[in-house]
Amino acid sequence: MDLANIIQPPSTPSLLSRLRANLFGNVLDSVVSIVCGVLLVMLVYSVIDWAFVSSIWRAEDESLCKEAGGACWSVIDARHRIIFFGLFPYEEHWRSTLACVVMTATIVLSCFPWFWSALRLSALWLAGFGTFYILMHGGLFGLSVITPERWGGLALTIFIFAAVSIIGMPLSILLALGRRSKLPVIAKMVGLFIDFFRSLPLLTILFTAAVITPFVLPGWLQGDKLYRVIAGFAIFFACYQAENIRAGLQAIPAGQDEAGSTLGLSYWHRISRIQLPQAFRNSLPAIVNQFVITFKETSIVTIVGFFEILASGAAAYGTGKWTVHYIEVYVFIGLIYFMFVFSLSRYGAYLERKLRVGHG
Amino acid sequence: MAENTSNTVTAVAMNSVNKWFDDFHVLKDINLNVADGEKVVICGPSGSGKSTLIRCICKLEDHQRGTINVLGTELNDDVSNIDEIRREVGMVFQQFNLFPHMTVMENCTLAQMLVRKKSRKEAETIAMGFLEKVRIPEQAGKYPGELSGGQQQRVAIARSLCMNPKILLFDEPTSALDPEMISEVLDVMVSLAEEGMTMICVTHEMGFARRVADRVIFMDQGEIVEENSPLEFFENPVNERTKLFLSQILQH
Repeated sequence: MDLANIIQPPSTPSLLSRLRANLFGNVLDSVVSIVCGVLLVMLVYSVIDWAFVSSIWRAEDESLCKEAGGACWSVIDARHRIIFFGLFPYEEHWRSTLACVVMTATIVLSCFPWFWSALRLSALWLAGFGTFYILMHGGLFGLSVITPERWGGLALTIFIFAAVSIIGMPLSILLALGRRSKLPVIAKMVGLFIDFFRSLPLLTILFTAAVITPFVLPGWLQGDKLYRVIAGFAIFFACYQAENIRAGLQAIPAGQDEAGSTLGLSYWHRISRIQLPQAFRNSLPAIVNQFVITFKETSIVTIVGFFEILASGAAAYGTGKWTVHYIEVYVFIGLIYFMFVFSLSRYGAYLERKLRVGHG
Repeated sequence: MAENTSNTVTAVAMNSVNKWFDDFHVLKDINLNVADGEKVVICGPSGSGKSTLIRCICKLEDHQRGTINVLGTELNDDVSNIDEIRREVGMVFQQFNLFPHMTVMENCTLAQMLVRKKSRKEAETIAMGFLEKVRIPEQAGKYPGELSGGQQQRVAIARSLCMNPKILLFDEPTSALDPEMISEVLDVMVSLAEEGMTMICVTHEMGFARRVADRVIFMDQGEIVEENSPLEFFENPVNERTKLFLSQILQH
């Protein structure tokens, strides 16, 4: 066979030639490209200069900040314990640190497919929450008691997020199934429940849970304010997440359930083995999105008097000489949020790739 | 049925079965007896109720009047009855309905393990046996999305067989297939028929009907219009509607 005459696919142009064609195709393009390029370089330069070059890092050098003109990271060096721990007693900060590590590890571990069975997940979360609670609350193993009003900072943010997720996820599955129930009474009532809570702002729900429910509920059912707020938040989360899951269920062809029925599978087996795995895959982007929103919305609990990370950040720059350095504090907190949320989105992308298996 | 008890066992007995979708009368006074080991082909124009009829037999649809007996058990609202029937009746669908998130092997072992309480190893041995029977054992580790339509339908048949059903229902098993894949599925169905499986097939594959059917049933507008041996059915159709239908599907 004459190799020279075999038709080859056209070679893809190199990155450089594509850049040249796209950015410097004619005079106007070139001018715009150059102007934008210069602005971009100036912006990056000034950010780097502010954050790293002209910046002051150590707490005791705070007096040099004004002169240096860059970021004054001294505020973080001096006040990071307030950001991380809020009002938690100073000498017990190690407990809060350990609790954060335990809870983060629990979240990370439950992302591994090996843990994806009801038994393993329950065991993991029971252990994770148990350890977190004993560390934070104390009263056991000689640890002094620290009540939830004094919890704060990153530990509180992570705790609220984890608790809302772990209560909200099973609830959202039940709500999604309930709304698709063949019994009209159940479907209507669940639909009403979901639409009712979705039509209320989160702020209202948290405020009601914190301030109003004590007047309504009997004493033994009230629990701590923190748990009432988490319960309200979890219901709010579940109502939104239920609609995401329901969308995923809706997209499954009816034949899937029929095939399961004719094989003799029971309702719960059809739900757990056929419907839910496909529903999660169908609406994974929306489900992850809801987790991301929830992580960021934990900052709203400030309004009912909890010192989550954003509120403790405000406390960190709120006194004396530090009041001028609020930008540095918010940049720092922004980075913490970014770390969590970015990991979440990357994990979502990984799951999407993994679950797409066998779908060309 | 009294006259059947002497030498043959009745697999399915439908007695004056009526069904409505809202106001639409989709099944009208259906009387149908299928003996154990019998092969029945049901054909008819679309909307004639033939799919609904076999879906009633495995209780994917409820009927409103009349009785349906499957293997001596009456289909009513008693849930344990339905589970009992569904374990004995297999169904093969037009759209295959394989579970896309499971491998071929997992598709075949899921119900064995959950319903028949078999061990994974036992279930996989049985599944492999049936995958060999439908001639695709080498695809066991693949996902349905990686297979051709004909291969998927053969997996679906193997999946049904894994439950060791006494009756197999086929709902237009070749209608969603590309033409070159139809025969590989029909071959499997023919070999099942030769082994004595009780089969009720909704299909327009008239060659298949001639070859394996004991009886061909023609339905139109929710009624059984004509019912005969394949030879008589194709050579001497009696009813005008049957003649029209046969001329339409056989003219090419």
